[in-house]
Amino acid sequence: MAVTEAPTTELAPEPERGRLLDWLKTTDHKKIGILYLINSFAFFAVGGVLALLMRTELARPGTQIFAPHAYNQLFTLHGTLMIFLVIFPLLAGFGNYFVPLQIGALDMAFPRINALSFWLLPVGGLTIVSGFLARGGAAAAGWTGYPPLSEQLGTGQDLWIAGLIIVGTASILGGINFIVTILRMRAPGMTMMRMPVFTWSILATSLLVILAAPVLTAGLIMVFADRQIGTVFFDPGRGGVVLLWQHVFWFFGHPEVYMLILGAWGIVTEIVSVFSGKPIFSYRGVILSFLLITALSFSVWAHHMFATGAVELPFFSVTTELISIPTGVLFFIWLGTMWKGKLRFEPPMLFALGFIAMFLIGGINGVWAASPAMDFAIHDTYWVVAHLHYVLFGGTIFGVMAGMYYWFPKMTGRMLSRKLGIWQFWLQLVGFNLTFFPMHMLGLRGMPRRIADYAPDRGWSFLNLMSSIGAFVIAIAMIVFFVNIFLTLRKPRSAPDDPWESNTLEWATSSPPPAHNFDALPPIRSDRPAYDLRMAAKEPQA
Amino acid sequence: MRRIRAGLARLGLALVLLLLTNCAKQGISPQGQDVHQLYVIILILAAPVFIGVEAALIWCIVRYRKRSDDPAPQTVGGSRSLGVFFVIPAVIVALLFPFGETTLLRIARTEPPQVQIRVEGFQWQWTFLYLQEGIFVSGKTLVKPAEMVVPVDEPVRITLTSRDVIHSFFVPDLLFKRDAIPGRTSTFEFTPTELGTFPAQCAEFCGLWHSKMTFDVKVVSSLDYQAWIKQERKAAASITCKPDGTTLSLVAHNISWNQFCLAVPANTPFIVNINNQDAGIEHNFAIYDSFFQKTTYFTGPKVTGPATISLNPDPLPPGRYYFQCDVHGPAMSGAFVVKG
Repeated sequence: MAVTEAPTTELAPEPERGRLLDWLKTTDHKKIGILYLINSFAFFAVGGVLALLMRTELARPGTQIFAPHAYNQLFTLHGTLMIFLVIFPLLAGFGNYFVPLQIGALDMAFPRINALSFWLLPVGGLTIVSGFLARGGAAAAGWTGYPPLSEQLGTGQDLWIAGLIIVGTASILGGINFIVTILRMRAPGMTMMRMPVFTWSILATSLLVILAAPVLTAGLIMVFADRQIGTVFFDPGRGGVVLLWQHVFWFFGHPEVYMLILGAWGIVTEIVSVFSGKPIFSYRGVILSFLLITALSFSVWAHHMFATGAVELPFFSVTTELISIPTGVLFFIWLGTMWKGKLRFEPPMLFALGFIAMFLIGGINGVWAASPAMDFAIHDTYWVVAHLHYVLFGGTIFGVMAGMYYWFPKMTGRMLSRKLGIWQFWLQLVGFNLTFFPMHMLGLRGMPRRIADYAPDRGWSFLNLMSSIGAFVIAIAMIVFFVNIFLTLRKPRSAPDDPWESNTLEWATSSPPPAHNFDALPPIRSDRPAYDLRMAAKEPQA
Repeated sequence: MRRIRAGLARLGLALVLLLLTNCAKQGISPQGQDVHQLYVIILILAAPVFIGVEAALIWCIVRYRKRSDDPAPQTVGGSRSLGVFFVIPAVIVALLFPFGETTLLRIARTEPPQVQIRVEGFQWQWTFLYLQEGIFVSGKTLVKPAEMVVPVDEPVRITLTSRDVIHSFFVPDLLFKRDAIPGRTSTFEFTPTELGTFPAQCAEFCGLWHSKMTFDVKVVSSLDYQAWIKQERKAAASITCKPDGTTLSLVAHNISWNQFCLAVPANTPFIVNINNQDAGIEHNFAIYDSFFQKTTYFTGPKVTGPATISLNPDPLPPGRYYFQCDVHGPAMSGAFVVKG
């Protein structure tokens, strides 16, 4: 019987190295930076849909589509995803792509750890989201996960803890990587006081991460141990202390707020300078403010706990109000940078101006909450929801959008559509204010946050309806944004190396940069090497 | 330009007035009115900052739009302007902080209280115990929100705690809230000066029916208050029943017992069958002298529903006792009558 055997000598064809595989195993900080952005915008879409569902439920009094059981999962996951898997990783993504370029480095200090800290993110995020499949549903104790409530709930809460520990580990690894990169990998001539403000903001963020994120991890482990091993850290019936969690959580949580905004300050400061055609009004003032805020942010945590009646009120009130001083300085510097400038209203600048106008409101409405007597009235009401969204959406998301329009040509070699950008800006600005401004009034009228339903006789219905309409306007703005990206990516690469006449080093290489970042580094003699390069190029013609 | 400026000023003033009159609650107690005053003071300090910065921003946008290709002046600020930038917000903070502290001291002021109420939050309602008067009122989740009755113009002292998770006692018209934390008691005072019924609710997310953890604060005249106390006492005393055998069956459903009165013959052994139908929720059965809980006669183990348990308390001498679920307290309680 004849048996035909496959000839063993013939080699199998070399597997096609797909581009997907390149992305999966890359250690190039630029590709990892883009992966961060893709992952963050994917979770942004998920968190945004959760928010739309919440706003749909709250549009009218009475239950429309979600029973409280489902609603409680919606707002818990919305907050958790937006904070841990959207806003922070968006800024970290920009940091990954641009910090090495801005300091003239080849890559991050630890490229493989960099890849690890990215890949832990989708793992952690999906762990949290997988709670929807668990019996009893996803985590439902709010993004703050206060025990004893978070110790009562089901498996979804364990997945939430596990996911957050994974995400926290990712950010600690990333933070160490950034610090080492910034301190040890700068090009010749790139002294600390010539580093771009965005790189400074990532350095400050990374310091906050490595000091604060381990504290959250410790707290999460305590809750997990209480739930699964039978420890009693937070069980008052057996010697535990309920408030311990709040101290641990907010000791992390308030520096966390600055992790979520410092990067946006860096982006906006740079963009305001570029599109005003002027240097930053006071570079040293920006750095000083960043560092003061970084230091002070560790002393304000208990202002989240005024209503417990168990914290020293004047101390935490005064530290909270003190932190508004360096923040105020930043506003003066932004205005001073624009003063007598030549303002160009390209989309990055529009979003940066929107940032300044909205973040100002987020700063001012926080002043009421910083005064303990007033906080007793507005704590845990919609006033606080308005406050945090004016900071994190009106602030950071506007800053991130400014960064997207600013850096997109550098990352892809393609300019996002200016027209769609302007449409997105106005829709986003109007939708944002329509959604969140009425929440101030709701808070003053006593509407608590995190309620799945409200009675029709409380005078909250009309304001809630406005807010829900606004949420859908924001959704349209975001669709315009994604359409803009989709359409632009189908166009040929035509962006120049420095389309905006910028200041910093990333504009002194090609768009997009080669794998090794720079064919030749320009001389670095100031905090504006790209500007110096442009001026030097003009001189011979004169 | 002057006309525009005047118009802007008028618009700003109108906005401020709108915020003043339309939004914040005025307060139904001197403490609440103090907080409202603080709201206005912060508004007066914040409004110029808001208007000033936004106006400067709009000014820059209008005035410094790029109109020619001439380069902008490459000027930067010196240390002096940076110093000014630090001083301006520092002055505002220095003005603001004392106002906040003064208000804090004013609302913490106490007078000898005429009414003392122990408030217990539980998932998901409230119990108000009038310890001096010997009565209590309790809400039932999804059935009936609790009502806290207080006399007008009398200082009320609240002692606040929680039976399970963190809640928050929030009365918008008092412009005040305080967290109810298990393992802690917290005390505060207020003096309602306005008659009426004021809606209130839990402000700290506490799980499934957080949104239904509402209650009312009913401020009544002194006479009506006395009448209400008398009526509540009478109503509590009128609950009675007669023994029917030595086996009692009690069902816990939706955080309520199915009976408000139980009776057994004196000095006779008896059995209590508990059927806990609340999935995932703990209940137990305990017998005390009264809701003051000075003497404990029996404490059954906590069982998580759905479950049934059979209990054998010791025989009791004749008298009027009180039973409750220790997890939910007076909200799940009734009269326990032992007949001779």
